[in-house]
Amino acid sequence: MSGKVAIGSDIGQARRAVEQLRMEAGIERVKVSKAASDLLQFCMEQAKSDPFLVGIPAATNPFKEKKPCTIL
Amino acid sequence: MATDGLHENQTLASLKSEAESLKGKLEEERAKLHDVELHQVAERVEALGQFVMKTRRTLKGHGNKVLCMDWCKDKRRIVSSSQDGKVIVWDSFTTNKEHAVTMPCTWVMACAYAPSGCAIACGGLDNKCSVYPLTFDKNENMAAKKKSVAMHTNYLSACSFTNSDMQILTASGDGTCALWDVESGQLLQSFHGHGADVLCLDLAPSETGNTFVSGGCDKKAMVWDMRSGQCVQAFETHESDINSVRYYPSGDAFASGSDDATCRLYDLRADREVAVYSKDSIIFGASSVDFSLSGRLLFAGYNDYTINVWDVLKGSRVSILFGHENRVSTLRVSPDGTAFCSGSWDHTLRVWA
Repeated sequence: MSGKVAIGSDIGQARRAVEQLRMEAGIERVKVSKAASDLLQFCMEQAKSDPFLVGIPAATNPFKEKKPCTIL
Repeated sequence: MATDGLHENQTLASLKSEAESLKGKLEEERAKLHDVELHQVAERVEALGQFVMKTRRTLKGHGNKVLCMDWCKDKRRIVSSSQDGKVIVWDSFTTNKEHAVTMPCTWVMACAYAPSGCAIACGGLDNKCSVYPLTFDKNENMAAKKKSVAMHTNYLSACSFTNSDMQILTASGDGTCALWDVESGQLLQSFHGHGADVLCLDLAPSETGNTFVSGGCDKKAMVWDMRSGQCVQAFETHESDINSVRYYPSGDAFASGSDDATCRLYDLRADREVAVYSKDSIIFGASSVDFSLSGRLLFAGYNDYTINVWDVLKGSRVSILFGHENRVSTLRVSPDGTAFCSGSWDHTLRVWA
C-alpha cells in the first residue's frame, strides 16, 4: 500500500522535473560574445557615475574625513 | 496488482532517463553559444587603477555575531541583526544607534529595510519574518507594534521587501521561498524547487521585471517568475552551498558566493556561467557578495575574515581588505554606491569607502 503511494509521488516529482527541464532546454539564448559585450557596454556607460571608480573627494563623501586646513 | 506496480516502475524509469537526456540537451544548447570567455571580451577594457579603501566607521554594539545587514534608501541608515537576538538601526554617519529591538529568538539571520524607510523586517530561528514600524516616539515600545508576516517550517535565511512596503519575499531552511502580503500576512505565492535549504535571495532591479534569484544548499541558483511561481532558469556549477546571490545592476546577470571559495557570474541571456572569481590562495567560503554601481567591481566577504574586491569583467582580484577579526557574514553596497558595509562574527559592522 505505502509502496504504491511512494511510487505515485515519485512519478509526480519525476514528471514535474521532466516538464521543468523541457521548459529550461527550450528557452531563447544569446551567444556569450553578445551577452559579454552588453555587460561591458553597461559597465562602461555607468563607470562615470560609479563612486568607487571615479573617486569622490573627501569633502563630498560623508564617510571620508574632511581634511583640516593648514594655516601657513 | 503486481503488474500495476511494474507498469508504474517502468514509467518512473523512462521519466528519469528522459530527465537525464534533457539535462544533456540543456548542456549542449548552452555549449553551442559558448563562443568566447568574458575576460577575453574584456581585454579591450582599460585595467583598473589602485584602490584605497579603508574602514571609515565601525559600528559597535551587538553582543554576538552580526548575521545580516541592509541599507536604508536614505543612504545613511543601516539595520543589522545578530545571533544575540537583537536588531539595531544605526545612523552610519554618526555611528549612533537609533532603534533597537530584542527578538524572541537568537540567530536573527535575516533583516531588511522597507523602501519607505519607515519599517524593518527580520527573522531567523523563529521561522518567521516580522515587520516592525520605526517610530521616533521615545515612549513607544517598538516590540509592541510587531507584525508577524511570514511563517515557514524552518529557519528564515533571507528576506527582502519588493519595491513597496506592502510585500515581502522570504527564503527559508525549509527549502522554499515565498511572497507575502505585509498587511494581511497572506501567502501570495510560494516557490518550490530547491532540493535543500535556501540561503539567499535577491530581487531583480525593478526595470527588469518581476523575477528574483535564490541560492541554496543544493548548490543551485534558481531564477523565479514572481507571478507564476515558476522557476525559469537554474544554474548548478558551484561545488558547495551558495551563501549569497546578487543581481548585476543591469539585471542581465547575477553573481553568487559559495562555500566552495569561489564567486561566479551567470549571464541570464546566455543562460550560463560566464566568470569564476577564485584564487588558489582563497580556500575559505564566500559568504556575501555585492556589486559597485556600474557592476565593474564585485565586493565579496569571506570566512577567512577578509573582503576581496574583484574586477568583474577581467576576472582578477583588484584589492584585499583586512580589518574584521572573524568571518565576514554580510556585505551590502550603499544605495548611492559611495560606500559598502560589512558585518562580521566579530560583533561589529564596518563601513568602507
